[in-house]
Amino acid sequence: MLTLAIFVPLAVAAITLAIPKRHERLARPLAIWTSFIPLIVVAVSWARFEIGTGFQLVESLPWIPSLGISYTVGVDGLSLPLVALTAVLFTVSIVFPVDDRGKARAYYATFLFLEAISLGVFLSLDLILFFVFWDLSLVGMYFLIGVWGHGDAQRSALKFFLYTLLGSLALLLGILGIYLYTNPRTFDMVEIIATLPVPAGGLAATLIFVAVGIGFAVKTPLVPFHTWLPPAHVDAPAPASTILAGVLLKMGTYGFIRISLQMLPETFQRYALPLGIIAVVSILYGALVAMAQTNLKRLIAYTSVNHMGYVILGIAAAGALGIGSEASRSIAMTGAVVEMVAHGLITGALFLVSGSILARGKTYELDQYGGLAGKAPRLAGITILAAFASLGLPGLAGFVAEFQIFAGTLGVFPWLAAIGLLGIVITAALFLRMIQQVFLGDLPVRWEGWKDLRRVEMWALVPLGALVVIIGVAPAWLIRVIDTLSQVVARG
Amino acid sequence: MVWLPVLTPLIGGVVIAALRRQQTAARMASVLAMVATVVAAATVAASQAAGEWTWGGGLDLAVSVTGFGRIMVILVPLIAALVLIFAAANSEEDRAIVKLLVVLTWFVAAMELLVIAADFLTLLIGWELVGAASWVLIGHEWRDPDRPRSAREAFVTTRFGDLGIYVAAGAVFAATGSLQYTDLAAASPGWLAIVAGGLVLAAAAKSAQVPFSPWLFSAMAGPTPVSALLHSATMVAAGAYILIRLQPTLSMVNWFAPVVVGIGLITALAGGMVALAQQDLKKALAGSTSAQYGLMLIAVGAGFTAAAAGQLTAHALFKSLLFLAAGVALHARGTLDLSKLRLGSALPRIAVLFGIGALALGAVPPLGAAFTKEAVLAGAFHSGIWVGLGTAVAGLLSTVYAGRLHMLGYGPGPIGEIHGSPRRGEVTALGILAALSLALGILWLPGGDAILEWAADGAILATTRAEIVLSWALVALGIAVVAVAWRRGRLVTLGLPSRTREFIAGWWGLPSAARVLIVDPVSRLGQGLFVADRKVVARLADAVAGFGELMSRILKRVVDRSIDAIVWGIGAGTIQGAEISRLADDRGVDGAVEGLASGIGVAGTQSRRTQTGMSYHYYTMMMIGLVVAIAVAAFWR
Repeated sequence: MLTLAIFVPLAVAAITLAIPKRHERLARPLAIWTSFIPLIVVAVSWARFEIGTGFQLVESLPWIPSLGISYTVGVDGLSLPLVALTAVLFTVSIVFPVDDRGKARAYYATFLFLEAISLGVFLSLDLILFFVFWDLSLVGMYFLIGVWGHGDAQRSALKFFLYTLLGSLALLLGILGIYLYTNPRTFDMVEIIATLPVPAGGLAATLIFVAVGIGFAVKTPLVPFHTWLPPAHVDAPAPASTILAGVLLKMGTYGFIRISLQMLPETFQRYALPLGIIAVVSILYGALVAMAQTNLKRLIAYTSVNHMGYVILGIAAAGALGIGSEASRSIAMTGAVVEMVAHGLITGALFLVSGSILARGKTYELDQYGGLAGKAPRLAGITILAAFASLGLPGLAGFVAEFQIFAGTLGVFPWLAAIGLLGIVITAALFLRMIQQVFLGDLPVRWEGWKDLRRVEMWALVPLGALVVIIGVAPAWLIRVIDTLSQVVARG
Repeated sequence: MVWLPVLTPLIGGVVIAALRRQQTAARMASVLAMVATVVAAATVAASQAAGEWTWGGGLDLAVSVTGFGRIMVILVPLIAALVLIFAAANSEEDRAIVKLLVVLTWFVAAMELLVIAADFLTLLIGWELVGAASWVLIGHEWRDPDRPRSAREAFVTTRFGDLGIYVAAGAVFAATGSLQYTDLAAASPGWLAIVAGGLVLAAAAKSAQVPFSPWLFSAMAGPTPVSALLHSATMVAAGAYILIRLQPTLSMVNWFAPVVVGIGLITALAGGMVALAQQDLKKALAGSTSAQYGLMLIAVGAGFTAAAAGQLTAHALFKSLLFLAAGVALHARGTLDLSKLRLGSALPRIAVLFGIGALALGAVPPLGAAFTKEAVLAGAFHSGIWVGLGTAVAGLLSTVYAGRLHMLGYGPGPIGEIHGSPRRGEVTALGILAALSLALGILWLPGGDAILEWAADGAILATTRAEIVLSWALVALGIAVVAVAWRRGRLVTLGLPSRTREFIAGWWGLPSAARVLIVDPVSRLGQGLFVADRKVVARLADAVAGFGELMSRILKRVVDRSIDAIVWGIGAGTIQGAEISRLADDRGVDGAVEGLASGIGVAGTQSRRTQTGMSYHYYTMMMIGLVVAIAVAAFWR
């Protein structure tokens, strides 16, 4: 069944390309309806998911048996929430109106292709399959930015592509390293997590850890590997930014948990503190640089660096076996995964909103705006909701995550948690300033005719806002699933 | 059931919002929502109910109505109801009044959650939501660019304090695996000290203690009802409240008492002088708020939580009264400048009501506020003679500034020009608050201290005769000082040079210190990092391009001429850029690659050029990977 989530969008992507030019307008409804298939698959999987057990709903086919490569997909407490997030974000991004530059078929086909690929990354339980999907995700995103972007889109796309490609090269080497220790040779992730083939403590383990770590650090991105991110976001079309921030960045943090932590736990434990330090640097660096921004989209992009820092801090604390209590490590892990989901929804919404603002005002420069709350209460309301969620206000999804990350990390690395907490004050300051600059104060005369959000934009944004509130108020349904993973990881 | 004090105003707010097209109904609904909340709170307080809401993963939100919470849970909506009567009567800003009423109602919901919280997670949720609501309320008149800025300053300052609760929560969890207040005592001394540190930080920020006090000045940007509520039972009260609640456990930390007493005493003295030196009625009241909470902290630190709780209750009643009356003054005169008010003859009824508030603020017997202040003084003397004397001075200051504010604000003076007279609802609200302040005088009756101890669920120290004599003498002295200064016409300037006065009135230079020491350096750091970041971007782009170039050169040399065209593509694509890449294209690049690429849907030469270039990069990397893989696999066995 999970396979359907991957191959139906893939097949429809091909069909979309085959639509004759004169029926081009069919591409959009076709893509929208297709994107509901993964949503349905997720809903059914969530209902069938059994709390407290490992990988479930596994589907497997031999692919290249002689090399131990197979097509295997399945979900656990980590991947199920991320698959759900992916399905939701793709649906709203496809729904969100965009200037397709007269290439509607290609645009929607690329989106469906990227959806299939992204779901594949999180669903794969075979390292080679994982890597293939991982690499193809670059291709899809490259085209979205390069073709439908604005500004210096091609250069940004190129930078994104080259940079993350170097990251995946490192990842590939790491994966091969792990493979070489398996006996019999296999790329089966479940098997590797169960048997932990790489001997702990050796040089090889460290090298592998560093190699995959670089791959994931580029994708996440962690400071100092983040420099591809701001230009890519600024020049990408809004829905592509949503996917880039909401889904693609999560591949990096997913990899840190699934491969770095779960396949190399002892090496991870040894390097947990350095990783935590890098995370805190990312938190503060991202927040401080975001505060210096005058460009709305770059501001949001840097807050992604900040939020991914929270995620990595939680993961580092969770993997620091032997330090702090099991309960502290467990909630740090849960917090990290909730943060992935929360950040995806919140930043996804913020990027879509920035697309709406660009479409009306033709610029991201914050000082060009002001007083829009009176003209566009819906736009202001959703932006303020998302901004408050992003700065971690209770009652919204970001708080659930950040509270758990910090409360958990405080029991493991007290000083890192205390320093990292400063990040939430800085993000509060910068988001409030952003709201103030765009929505409050005097309305410039040229925005007298400013139009509020259209219905189709609301269709994309309201579900995100609703999920942010639901997770913020009643997160039990989500935390219970993630807790399945956290307990295993925290126990070591 | 136990959630009703939170849910009632929450739902009330939704109802008010739904009624936004019928203004009168919306106003009625807001008052009714608060009255309903009072009823719900009283019911819950009587039954001492408790409840839980599960988050999963070992986290539960726990609430219970115990101890001083029983009083507080009623006090908050009670004062809010009166403030809302006042706000609803005010019909000047028709358009935005509904939004104000809705958010005020939600402000109360957040505060009620904070009050009934029984664990640190729930506390933090209420704590931060109160702060967020205050941001909306302070920036209520958002079209004026200055007000959102003030709102942001207030929010960011208090949020810095919120970090203390994050830390406290994490420390409790690390120590005990639980977030409940009741498990706090089980924490080891080291962790308990961290919890205490976090809570003291949070309380000091929220209750506007030194050095966080100036945020209350920023909060002045909000409309009058907002100030009245924010300074009395909500927001500012949270800091003192949580310390009262948790004092029994926190006092096990040996530095807790001296630190809390110290912060309180410094703020009581410094804030008192701010209140004395201010030329703006509302800002003077704001200075006195810090000072009065300083007194509460002294009592908490000294271990007499009932005295602090009594002071909090008395202060909530008289401070909301004073702020609302200040709003009437602003309305009447169009200014809050103390040299231009003197509304005693113009608005005699309001002057009497303000006078009752001022007497309470000045701790003049037989008002209840005098009883609680003497209880604080007794506690202060118990913790040390110097603390006691300092508190006595702070008390003297409060009598003097209360008298000054009354004489300058509502003292006898020319009737002058009156822009607007108070409406019936406004007078009603003020009247009820004044009556409640007077009614608190029952504490002077025999058994008053027992009532206070029962209500606050804490201890109180009986005042000695010497303390009573001292205290009353100081009150008399204070009144005499005001009378003399009034007669000599020195009450406005106090005979101080204007620069000194302005320095003190501007919170001893704390706002500029914060700007110079914290705000500016942080934003400069951000700017600097961003500049560095952009330079790194440029460098890295070069480095990546260089790497691609190098790889292409190596490949060009290594790989056989038979796949000449592709290799040329790789080399050319990166070295000479798009132009040559297109030539390579023409020379016969693999048709499949191109077919696939354009199949994905990129038309137009521009994009195709880049994309074919890209495919080469891509395949370069894949080939390197493959070569390494094969090499490793071959040599490993």
